[in-house]
Formats: sequence, C-alpha cells, structure tokens
Amino acid sequence: MALSKIRSDSLEDTAIHGNRNLIINGAMQVAQRGTSSTSSGYQTVDRFNVHKSSFGQLAFTQTQVTDAPAGFSNSYKFTTTTAETAVDAAESLGIRTALEGQDLQQLGYGTGSAKKLTLSFYVKSSQTGTFAIYFYSADTVRIITRTYTISSANTWEQKSVTIDGDASGSIDNDANESFQISWCIAAGSNFTSSDSTSWSAYSTANTYFGHAQNAVVTTTNATWQITGVQLEVGEQSTPFEHRSYGDELARCQRYFQIVGNSSYFAGNGVGSASISTGIPLATPMRAEPSVPDTGYAFHRSGNTNSGTNSVTNVTYATIGASNLQLRVNFGSGISDEVAYVLNAITADLQLTAEL
Amino acid sequence: MNEMNITSAKYMAHSETGENDAIKATIDGMGYTVPLAIGNAHYAEIMRQVDAGELTIAPAEGG
Repeated sequence: MALSKIRSDSLEDTAIHGNRNLIINGAMQVAQRGTSSTSSGYQTVDRFNVHKSSFGQLAFTQTQVTDAPAGFSNSYKFTTTTAETAVDAAESLGIRTALEGQDLQQLGYGTGSAKKLTLSFYVKSSQTGTFAIYFYSADTVRIITRTYTISSANTWEQKSVTIDGDASGSIDNDANESFQISWCIAAGSNFTSSDSTSWSAYSTANTYFGHAQNAVVTTTNATWQITGVQLEVGEQSTPFEHRSYGDELARCQRYFQIVGNSSYFAGNGVGSASISTGIPLATPMRAEPSVPDTGYAFHRSGNTNSGTNSVTNVTYATIGASNLQLRVNFGSGISDEVAYVLNAITADLQLTAEL
Repeated sequence: MNEMNITSAKYMAHSETGENDAIKATIDGMGYTVPLAIGNAHYAEIMRQVDAGELTIAPAEGG
C-alpha cells in the first residue's frame, strides 16, 4: 500500500493508541482474594481497596458484583450495612488505587512540560450528589482534587475529570508507590476545608475538597459502584481499553498472588526446626511480599521425619525474578540438610506486595 | 496517606543465625510476616510509625 493511502491522523499523537490505560483491573474483573468482605483494605477486587478512618457505627461490605454497564461484566460495589449516625469531622472513607512511579515517568512531572491526565469511569449509586476524587503524588506529598456529580440514583453514569500536570515535583523512577487515586465515599469537615483544585501541598484539610455527599455511609443499604476506570495521558477521555482477563490477572499478580492449596514444593532442612523452600511465582512481584498468617499447615515428606505440622511462622523471605524463598518454621522435628517435599494442605499461601 | 492500623510488631529471628529477618505484625486486624525490605509497603509503614514514635517493635524471642 502506498504511504499516501494511510490516514495521517493514525500516526499522530492525537490518535487512540493501545496500552494507554494506566489503571490495572479497571474493569474489576480480577478478585483473587474473594468476592465479598466486611473489612477495609485490599479484600476483594484486586488493586482497589477501602481506606478509612475510625467510624462510630458504620459497617459495610465491599464486593465484586456482576451488575455493570453495557460492555462490562463486573463492578466493585460498596454497601452500607449499618449506617453511621453522622459523619464526624475526623472521619473519612474512600475507595483507592495506587500506581508505581516507574510506570508514570512519561508524565514529565517536575518539568515545565508535565502532562495532563484524564480519569474516566462508570459510577452508580443509590445517593445522588457531589463526590470528590483526590489525586495524590506520594513522592512530593502534593495533591489535587476534582468532583463529579451523580445525577440519577441507581443508574450507571460515565464521568470524566482532567487534572493538570504538576511542574513542581517529580515522580521517583522506582517500584514504590508514587500516585494514589481515591474516590471519596464520605468525608468529615476536617478533610474538605481547603481548596485543592490545583496542585497543592497535601494536608488533611485539602484531602477531599468539594465533597458534599455523605449519605452513602449514613443510609443503611445505600450503595456506590464503580467500573470501567481508565486513567490516560491527555485531556480527552477515550473509550475504555478492554484487556483480556489473563492480561489483567498477570498485572495484578505483581502485587498479590496466591500459591494454591495442595501445591508441592521442594525443600531443604535447616537446623532442627525449619525447612527452606523455593516457591515459583506466576509473575515477578513488585517487592518482597508479606505473608498473611492464615493457619497454614504443611505436610512434609522426605527420607526422614515425615509428618504434618502447623507452620509456626514463615521467618525468611527473599525474592528473585521468578521465585520466592521461604523459610518455614515447624518448631522441631527437622533434620538438617535433608531433602523434603512440602505439601500445603490447609490454606492457600497468599503473597502480598501491594503499594 | 497510608492509614494502616498496626497494633503489634515483633522481630523474628533467623533460626540459625539468630539475626532479625522479619517482623511479625498485626496490620488492620490481620497477622502478617513482613520482610525487612524497603519496597514492602508494610515494612515502610512500620518503620515510619517507629520513627514517628507511634510504634515499638518488640525484640525477637531470645533476642
């Protein structure tokens, strides 16, 4: 084909290119930990968590549900199960995701050519009103906020907000947390009193400037849902970039992955109490992971001292590109420098390297 | 902006060398073994709270 036949706008920066969504799991497809929880933190949909201050009466669920706008199969849903009587000045709750600095170098923050970002998403809530979103630059401790309005109750609406680039502070080029985005569900007056509609030094007072609707947490059975989250360079939102489930899962496993119950691992006895084992990783993790204590027990079999033990702790963790070394403490009964096979028999091994 | 509620923290010692090699911590109500690794967000927050005088890490048993 002659070059003259190729549309010139397809070669320009203004054309829609692939791999432009900076958000992982924006379609809420992946939920490795489970689909429902009554706790805060990362509990259900990967890469999205509830972060909050202490509340008086509030109880809630965070769930992955199949209610979603056309073209999507899942959404993240926050439901208040016990209403807060009133949101005090020092109380706040948001749904947050975070990004690594090395994935944001294209933004040019800290320079005169810092680029704008546009966030688009679908939202649905039983409560209409104005809600805030903060964009927090962790390396520079600076913040900018935007608001959006839910116009119709219990109806999927697509929203889009754009923020300026920040010329005042650069983003570290590393694997640590550099950027947070939080959709405010509730905020007391301590968090809304200072204007942050342009990039400003972070303070409690400007965290959720403009937020004006706390009824989601003060109304039993009130809901707030989100999906189709896309963050892209520029000041125009484009159609959501759908990725395959496998692609999103692999991206999520950089931050959290499960080594399944019934897996077998080769190990080596260390002293009289521990076995060192290497666990292959589905994808390299962002950092050495924490290991939740969820009552693991391993059956060990080898040429001496086979048996089943509850693991008293995992005392050592190093991580390579494709494997994690764990030292599993059985308390006693191990023969030094003896080969073992470990079989996880009671629970999945959960590895978390979230931002 | 990381509001982790850390209610306990205790060093864990390597079973052979006796040197600290992890922290047993209760974070947001859940128990974790946290590696002494700068990039780990749990470890970073534990050390931030220690530096701020908000948290003390108990020594390892026998330490």
